[in-house]
Amino acid sequence: MAITATATGTALRDPPQIHRFPQTKYIDSVRWLPQLSAFDRFAVLSLFDSDSNTPSLEIHSLNPQSQTLTLTPQSTFSPPSRISSLKTSQTPSHKPLIAASTFSGSLHLLFANAVDASLESECSVPAKELHVGAVSCVDVKDGGAECVTVGEDGRVNLVGVTGSGLSCRRVFDSDGLVSYTAAKWASPVEFATGGYGFSLQWWDQRKPGGAVSQFKGNWTQGTTSGIVHSIDIHPSRKHTCLAGGSLGTVFAWDLRWQQQPIILSGIGAGDAAIPSACESEVWEVQYDCYTKSTNMGNISSSRILPAIICSEDGILAVVEQDEEPIELLAEPCAINSFDIDRENPSDMICSFEWESIAILTRP
Amino acid sequence: MPGVTSGTGDGTSVSGAGALVPLSSEARSLSVYPLHHGLKPPLARIAISWARGNALRVSFFRQPSGRDSDGAAEVGGKVIEVKLSDGDGDIGDAQFRKIAYGSVSPFALLQSRRNSLATMSKISSPYHFEWWEYVMEYSRDIKALLGNPKSLASPLIDDPKTVLKNVEEPTSLKAAWELMEIFYVDKLSQSWLPERLVDWLADYDCLLSSTQATIHSKLVDFQKELVTLQVIEDNPKYWEVISSALAVGWLDIVVKMLRLHGSYQLDQINNRETENGLVEAVAVLISKMPRLRPELESGRLGECYKAKPDFVKAWEKWRAQITKLDCSAYWVRCGHHQTREGLRNMLQLMLGNTNSLCTATCHWIELFISHFLYIRPFTAGLESMYNMAQKCMQFKPMSGSHGLLGLIIGILGENTEVVLAECSREFGPWMVAHAIELLTAESDQAETLLREEHDNLGGISIEELHRLVYAQVLSSHSLTWQIAPIYLASCIKQGMGLLEILLSKQPVQNNQVLLKIIEICRLYELDSVSSNIMKIAGVYHWKHGRKGSGVFWLQQARDEVRLNRIAQQLFDSVGKSISDESFKQWEGLIELLGSESKTAGGLEFLHKYRDFKKSLKQVNDGKTNDAARQAVESLISLMKNPSTPQRFWLPLLFDSLKLLSWQERPLLNVSQTNLLLNKLQELSMARLRPDFIEADLPNQALSSVRLALATNLGRAILEE
Amino acid sequence: MEKSLATFDNGTTCSAWNHCGQRLATGSADGTLSIFDSQDPASTSSSFTCTSKSRIHEAQAGIVKVVWVPPEYGDAVACICADGTMSLWEEVVEDAQPLQWKQCKSFKSNSSKVLDIQFGISLTSLKMVAAHSDGHVKVFELLDSLEMKNWQLQAEFQNVIESVSTFGKASCISASISWNPHRGESQDSSFVLGFNSDTPQLNSSKVWEFDQAHQRWLPVAELALPADKGDQVHAVAWAPNIGRPYEVIAVATLKGIAIWHLGLDPDLDGRLSVEKVALLSGHEGEVWQMEWDMSGMTLATTGNDGMVRLWQSNLNGVWHEQAAFEPTS
Repeated sequence: MAITATATGTALRDPPQIHRFPQTKYIDSVRWLPQLSAFDRFAVLSLFDSDSNTPSLEIHSLNPQSQTLTLTPQSTFSPPSRISSLKTSQTPSHKPLIAASTFSGSLHLLFANAVDASLESECSVPAKELHVGAVSCVDVKDGGAECVTVGEDGRVNLVGVTGSGLSCRRVFDSDGLVSYTAAKWASPVEFATGGYGFSLQWWDQRKPGGAVSQFKGNWTQGTTSGIVHSIDIHPSRKHTCLAGGSLGTVFAWDLRWQQQPIILSGIGAGDAAIPSACESEVWEVQYDCYTKSTNMGNISSSRILPAIICSEDGILAVVEQDEEPIELLAEPCAINSFDIDRENPSDMICSFEWESIAILTRP
Repeated sequence: MPGVTSGTGDGTSVSGAGALVPLSSEARSLSVYPLHHGLKPPLARIAISWARGNALRVSFFRQPSGRDSDGAAEVGGKVIEVKLSDGDGDIGDAQFRKIAYGSVSPFALLQSRRNSLATMSKISSPYHFEWWEYVMEYSRDIKALLGNPKSLASPLIDDPKTVLKNVEEPTSLKAAWELMEIFYVDKLSQSWLPERLVDWLADYDCLLSSTQATIHSKLVDFQKELVTLQVIEDNPKYWEVISSALAVGWLDIVVKMLRLHGSYQLDQINNRETENGLVEAVAVLISKMPRLRPELESGRLGECYKAKPDFVKAWEKWRAQITKLDCSAYWVRCGHHQTREGLRNMLQLMLGNTNSLCTATCHWIELFISHFLYIRPFTAGLESMYNMAQKCMQFKPMSGSHGLLGLIIGILGENTEVVLAECSREFGPWMVAHAIELLTAESDQAETLLREEHDNLGGISIEELHRLVYAQVLSSHSLTWQIAPIYLASCIKQGMGLLEILLSKQPVQNNQVLLKIIEICRLYELDSVSSNIMKIAGVYHWKHGRKGSGVFWLQQARDEVRLNRIAQQLFDSVGKSISDESFKQWEGLIELLGSESKTAGGLEFLHKYRDFKKSLKQVNDGKTNDAARQAVESLISLMKNPSTPQRFWLPLLFDSLKLLSWQERPLLNVSQTNLLLNKLQELSMARLRPDFIEADLPNQALSSVRLALATNLGRAILEE
Repeated sequence: MEKSLATFDNGTTCSAWNHCGQRLATGSADGTLSIFDSQDPASTSSSFTCTSKSRIHEAQAGIVKVVWVPPEYGDAVACICADGTMSLWEEVVEDAQPLQWKQCKSFKSNSSKVLDIQFGISLTSLKMVAAHSDGHVKVFELLDSLEMKNWQLQAEFQNVIESVSTFGKASCISASISWNPHRGESQDSSFVLGFNSDTPQLNSSKVWEFDQAHQRWLPVAELALPADKGDQVHAVAWAPNIGRPYEVIAVATLKGIAIWHLGLDPDLDGRLSVEKVALLSGHEGEVWQMEWDMSGMTLATTGNDGMVRLWQSNLNGVWHEQAAFEPTS
């Protein structure tokens, strides 16, 4: 928690504008909903009401016209259990698409109206068909035709949208010998997964039977290790996996230099030269297309582009290779998730452990 | 802890935490609460179990019975959870959590300031002369969480008929907090304490309406009537309400209501000139009332005087004006009886006529406040206030008791124990844990009382006790338990003990919770707790079929014993499955285990074994010489390695028969062959021991290996 | 607020929550062991539904008590049956079968019945104390940290202070065991045990401590005044200690619930000082169960008067009944 943490990040000269929206439910995850119009903006929240023990997924509309920014619930979906992973995308016909997986193991694809974000249809895979236990992560391919789901049971599944229904295909089953905690598409045929021991796997659908390449972070020499919680892959750097996980760790794995990760942040690396944006779990990492790399002259394809992380110890920060992290927020509680608006990359939404949401607008 | 839930059926809010407060003399009657289980009697047995924090789970078992008339099996029992928590009945769960979250930062900041002051000024008391200012800042931050009621008498939109605004509901929690802030922390308010209490009552009089009639409730009632009234000044209630409002100093309301007087209406002015003049004269006097206070909110009536002498002068002058008006000849010329009487009564109130004040007020606290305004504006010292309050209570006995009143009496009576008891009983553990900072801000006596360690409490102070109690309340909810460590960290004696128990009672099945526990352990340096919890997680995942995660957590926990056991278990499976299709699956696990990792225990054997099997497979597949040499190297390194389990020796050698009797030339040199022969010898000895585990191999395995080795030795000697 | 968490089948006789309150095991008169789980993994107080039912094969009679094994050893319970047999059950994935509850060990004795068992974690291993109807106490040790199959009898003794005891064949109706909940590395493991029997010497609660140096169990304290030594003990409960300079143990007999303080430092004979600080009456008759809250400050009890009562000490160290709950339909 930020009260005790000694974050090393530098603060911004022009701090972002922050609007806070207290909720009365726990927010597991929050995403922007891709929209067609520049006027209507929507956010998707996966919530859990601890008083009644009911999970819900809500679409809120953001009203920027009025003087004070407001979040108003538009539509609600009731999943069978708490949502473990939430992603948004667009269908080939540019309909907003929400993919939500649950702790009971089900997967739900929700198609929203492109204008008013009302929920139009839902396809789902019931619990126990995809995974034994919870789905730990789901990711939707750009264009929305296919999802990858991974679980701690060691299964990797592909779920495709076929006309009116869904088709499921098991890519791999480690039978629990390896557990997966994160997944991210890299290209129409490739995706990456992450798991325990700072491990990453690269999968290519053209080469079935298993991962085509594997990486295991062993810079700690077996003393302490951690879990990968989130992966991002930049569309212009498809050969590089950016991963965030335990001990404030953010590292990049370049497939071309397989066993030499680039560590961007983390206290577990034992290298004092590496700045650390935070010391605890990095729950989410996303490339930040808004922050211009400070080192413009040196954009080689091996340099890692700037990214944003959120952490258990309440930090939302920009991390960049060989640079001091820039703190956007330092909260007294965990920041569970965040999302950068694809259409307005200066805008971010994030959810706090203490039942509230914030929208940040960077200058 | 002990507080007992409100809403268990009898509608009263009871908090048992009060008993932890030094009220030993008070004879408490035992509270019996009903527990509704909805089962058909008779019950055979009841079982109890504490869940986290102060949630108690009660299981009820019915006498086993046959089927009921419908043929359906009856419910055989039930388990219910009772939360024995705080007494703050008037706020909801979500609101409570909001307050709990919000108070973490101010509390932590204040603690860290105390600690840094204590280290900075070891020479003197940690209480720097500015300490109260820190507490004031803390108090303001906390107060901001408790709701932000707009003041009662600040009309926003000027609807002339609305004398009372529908303001946001103020909370008792905030009222109590503010009261303690006024008396215990805010040094600046000491010089104008009476006026602060006037303001306080203006903000919170409505809360007292819940137990008995107040001026506020009178105003609310009259407001409803007001709309229908034609000639307002004919209504005796109008004058009654006006004088009541005047008695407690709600000047804005009084003046506003006076201006509703019929004589102000344009068509009336001519006939009722004198009457109107008198009304206006009173209104002007009221709005010019001198107040001994630094400032007034803009738009509020009265004239402020910071210095006492200036105030005395103005006060005398003002009273002289009132007296003059009272003796004025104009009264005779005022034709409207009610107006004349009403106004003159108001003058009496302003002159401090005790009887009039007593009639105008409903509640003793209102009478008490009116004394400050009109009789003794210089009242200072708690003792004189206390005596005054006692007198007021004699005039206006309480019909029901409100928690706030108990608190006021405790404060005025300078009885910290009573204040604490009232806080605890009425507002619950959150209030007590946080209000102790206010009580001790200025008072050495309270400090001694609350920070002294008591043997009866197992060596902790009352302050620590209440923090522990609050931490336990936080622990009982899955969203607030993670705040508890902040409070426990401030408990020097028993905080870490309770934190360890709290952490060990968390579920490890969910990664997010598990990682949070580990993070808390890291922050508070609870390494052994952390490794035990990782151990639990490791065993959980291992036994539930997630072998990779299981090994990961056991490695993190450095649990050599279990890792070695797992190695044993894996050997069996590996031996069976490594050659077949599922080999690929093992790759991931073996990768995860790592070969160098010290924490992997005997698992490094697995790594070598895999390499050996791999090259052996290549040999069998027909790729010869190089593969064979590699396989032999692996074999030797396996056999040399102390972590290779003995029961694997024979199977390894038996698998290698082809290598041992390699056709072209001996693959093992003399010393290598001797090493293997020695191992074989050791094995034969070990077989005699009762605990030896026989490998699942053909009977002649040992002898054929021995023969092959002997042959190889012979060939090797010849070659050398 | 009271909230219903789960309902039981007809014939359910006993229940037990696991260490974090997320799983509930119940036993029934027909020998069925049921497991209830919360629907949501991160929340502890949602509703619980039955996820598994197993029949105890050997049992000729119903289950009378279920006890969870410490979580370091997996998700496992011990079931005591009315016929005095005891078996260990574990939830595990084995040999490509799905997750299920399996019996991993069964304890039988022809001469006596098991009355109560409790698990304690010592430095190196899991220990299980079993009190038998013949007045014997057996301490077993788990040999394997990963499997529940191999247990070794580490000690067997009678619940008496003087080792030379002369009494006839004892017959015990019930027994109650409570381990010292503290799991410090520095401390030797200890537990308190009392019997409800026809043999006065066995009854009174004694605190047993493992003497690491000589690998034996020693009685270090007796929790009974001289006049009460023969009183039959219905329940004992050792309070968690978060920092007190003494231990607190509750002992229930027909005379009431006694609260004992137990010193931490042994005298020259190795005995611990004891002091009876309160005798609480309220439950008329037998006390069924006593449970301390996590801070060791509140004691919850239930007895055959059908009430649930809460007890606390005030600032002056005086114990009193804080509240009572009366079950109603």
